[in-house]
Amino acid sequence: MGSDMGLIVKTMARATIPLIGIFGAYVISHGHLTPGGGFQGGATIAGAGILFLIAFGINEAKEKINKSLYSALEGLGGLVFLAAGMLGLGVAFFYNTLWHNGPIFNGEPGTLLSAGYLPIMNLAVGLKVYTGLVSAVFAMALFRRWRK
Amino acid sequence: MTLPFLVILPLFGAFSMPIVSLLGKKLKEYWAVIISGATFAVAAKIFYTVWKTNEIILYTLGSDNPIGRGVNFPIRIVWEVDLFGALLALTITFVGFLAIIYSLGYMKHDTGLEKYYTLVLVLELGMLGIVVTGDIFNFYVFLEIMSIASYALVAFRNDTWEGIEAGIKYMFVGSLASSFILLGIALLYGQYGTLTMSYLAIKIAENPTLVAKVALAFLIGGLLFKSGAVPVHMWLADAHPAAPSSISAMLSGLVIKAGGVYAIARIIFSIFNPGLHTYLRTFNAPAINMDVIGWVIVFFACLTLLVGNAMAVVQTDMKRLFAFSSVGQIGYIMLGIGIGVLAYGTRAGELALAGAIYHIVNHALIKALLFLVAGVVIHEVGTKNLNELSGLAKRMPLTTFFFIIGAAAIIGLPPLNGFASKWIIYESSAMYNPILAAIAVVGTVFSLAAYTKVLFTFLGKESERVRDAKEPEKSMLLPMLILVVAIIVMGLLPWQISDKIMIPAAKMLEQLNGEYILALLKFIGGA
Repeated sequence: MGSDMGLIVKTMARATIPLIGIFGAYVISHGHLTPGGGFQGGATIAGAGILFLIAFGINEAKEKINKSLYSALEGLGGLVFLAAGMLGLGVAFFYNTLWHNGPIFNGEPGTLLSAGYLPIMNLAVGLKVYTGLVSAVFAMALFRRWRK
Repeated sequence: MTLPFLVILPLFGAFSMPIVSLLGKKLKEYWAVIISGATFAVAAKIFYTVWKTNEIILYTLGSDNPIGRGVNFPIRIVWEVDLFGALLALTITFVGFLAIIYSLGYMKHDTGLEKYYTLVLVLELGMLGIVVTGDIFNFYVFLEIMSIASYALVAFRNDTWEGIEAGIKYMFVGSLASSFILLGIALLYGQYGTLTMSYLAIKIAENPTLVAKVALAFLIGGLLFKSGAVPVHMWLADAHPAAPSSISAMLSGLVIKAGGVYAIARIIFSIFNPGLHTYLRTFNAPAINMDVIGWVIVFFACLTLLVGNAMAVVQTDMKRLFAFSSVGQIGYIMLGIGIGVLAYGTRAGELALAGAIYHIVNHALIKALLFLVAGVVIHEVGTKNLNELSGLAKRMPLTTFFFIIGAAAIIGLPPLNGFASKWIIYESSAMYNPILAAIAVVGTVFSLAAYTKVLFTFLGKESERVRDAKEPEKSMLLPMLILVVAIIVMGLLPWQISDKIMIPAAKMLEQLNGEYILALLKFIGGA
């Protein structure tokens, strides 16, 4: 099955997909400073992935989306989150040792590197949400056709 | 501190499964076995610690102290593990470990196994989280983790119509029940402004409003759903037969206990403590009448054990029969909890609670064994229709022996473990109200009839279908053997186990002196 979308849609998708991706990355990386965070940003980037899937069609997506890679990246996102939670296990599970003791993540509050493990966790959640949502939508798009 | 590893290990196993499954074909199965075995070891260590010290473990996430700086109320998520929770954690990890070993052989012919093992570990994680947590929203999150993993596992064989049908039914009604629970939690939070269970208990005792009663009704309603009590048991009778047998063993042995009866007991005894409210009433202070809750639970318990066991008699599908029998056994556990509320602070109430806790553990072991046996029959013969099966004993002597042990244990024959727990429940209900004991005995009569019927499919004349049947491979026999040994050993030491483990667990759950609250209060006092 090819794409049913016309030239205008494809060209607009070429223009907007990077913008959506950058905006999603912004929401994720500023999760501890501005509204939004890992889930919202991850879902935004997944929106870019879905736009790609719809505008360019399933065959194009099949070449670009590697199932095992996305599945492994989703696991990696979870593992990074868990590792960030375990960093302060000497005191307690989820103890924010990066904020209390550093090294880099204990800057002035309000700056990018200021919230201990939170930016790391936001990145991990964002990766997990993006890969998870894209894999789920892609799997549904690939599902057996209506009649066959 | 080993407690966080109870959640870290299965979480690590589940997250690393997609990466591990890329490395090798068989590796993911061994990885699941290793992870669940390690979790079992952690749970055993925690159980031993709690049992030895006889004190509630209070663990704070994110800091060493649950109390916020400059305020005198808890602001962090706390995990509170008493002996009841630790005992359930031990049971969950034990049965989960055996179910995963069993899956090595049983799930060999299915595809998508890395998803299967991820989901099983997530299911175990959700149940472990429920039994350790002391925070009511954390409880809800773990309840949803458990529920969603079990929806997916019930519908795991999505090329069969019954898997999809049962999965959809379970998911719709289960989500509705979960939303009731969330509504109850939202009401409590709106009224009292805290989510920590033990602090909520203090706040409710200070000011027991109508909102607290409505919230309790929503929570109990949702949790009765999750435990498969009678008016809302229909999802269970569909979900258990449709799931793969290793999952049925976990669903029936663990999910309806951890997410259902354990949570009911925890909410009643830790948040709405009957003793606390009776004490308030003696001073004519406003309080919640916990006898009403006790009678509501006893009413549903009687209905559950009669209808569940009676419906088991008329089934022709082996796993559906076991599923209805699970509904019936939930009735006994709830009867114990209900009498524990009604006869709070007396010998009968304590015995009833001990019996309920004992029966939770026993039924988890027995029903896991029975579902694994049913899985072997389906795997080797290809049908679970009792009318087509007969005379399996000659071709599968070991499996038949395992089934006979399991059936005898669930009916409650003396040398096996089901006897002691049922006896304690009969005894305590007779002490409280003989009519309840009579209802409980009628339920057992139905149960006896149902299992005798299954017994005839194993004995008797050999039918066409079973000619080529043979014993399954070792990885399927070993978990059943371990369960049988556990059932027999526990059956040989019933009163020792009852005195050493179940009565102390009931005492810690009952918390006559408010120990669950005091475990938190000692941080507030600064002592």
